[in-house]
Amino acid sequence: MKPLQRTLSEAVLIALLGLLAGLAINHRLVLDAFAGRLAASGPVATTANTALPQPVLLAEVRELAATGALLVDARDAALYADGHLPAAVSLPLAEVDALLESFRQQVAAARTLILYCNGYGCPDSFDLGLRLISEGYRDVRVFEGGFPEWRDAGLPVVKGDQ
Amino acid sequence: MKHSGQVSYHLCRLLLGAVFVWAGAVKALGVPAFAGQVAAYQLLPYAWNYAVAATLPYVELLAGTLLLVNVRSKPAALLLLLLNTLFIAVLASVVARGLSIDCGCFGPDAGTTPLQALGRDALLLALAVAVYRQHDRYLLPPTT
Repeated sequence: MKPLQRTLSEAVLIALLGLLAGLAINHRLVLDAFAGRLAASGPVATTANTALPQPVLLAEVRELAATGALLVDARDAALYADGHLPAAVSLPLAEVDALLESFRQQVAAARTLILYCNGYGCPDSFDLGLRLISEGYRDVRVFEGGFPEWRDAGLPVVKGDQ
Repeated sequence: MKHSGQVSYHLCRLLLGAVFVWAGAVKALGVPAFAGQVAAYQLLPYAWNYAVAATLPYVELLAGTLLLVNVRSKPAALLLLLLNTLFIAVLASVVARGLSIDCGCFGPDAGTTPLQALGRDALLLALAVAVYRQHDRYLLPPTT
């Protein structure tokens, strides 16, 4: 083998080893991210779910929000104040026990809810979704890309309490 | 003369290795945050930003470590040379598209503009080229 070829193939091997190490260490995060992406090509559930919060993608979030779904921010209040999706309400997972009663009085159980937190690797919106389903909400969905995907897509972000 | 060349070769090798070990370690410790910064480049489908963020830091870490411990330093330098060329192309596309984003090269909140990052990557590229080219001159025994 020529020297350059040999060096090049060793360089490729180093890159592959680094790649494999990174995937081995972060496989859960990467799988979560791609599961969210793949949900787009799969069949969309036509009936409201009852067991698990269903993943929705950015494009569906925009559609659903425009047709009356309620966006729910599961991050803590400070992050919500720093910036959140337009018209989203704050329901931090950590404070759900204290806030649930007033949430239930304001939001009907039949309303479509879209929960989000800090993107892939953030379990709060999914956990909040399980809780809301157990409280009787019938159409609960999770936007797994969350606040980061929304912001990085250049979509409007609202600061403050409303 | 040969001695001073050898010293400069090893200094370049250690500096290049240290820079990439540092860059890789900072990002490996904050993969989701790094994914957000990759996404800000708006070059990949969203999920792929996570794949890049999960793997790139470890490639940098491995290549940097090999340079530091002087094992397979020539292919490691070649890999960083190619990576830096890629980084420069990506940053140039950022400048061309007029995006105002944080480089993310050394983790969050570094506050480096794309142009500053371009300049820094040009220096690192020169360093990688120097290590790659000088490797044989100073390390390999004469071939028969």
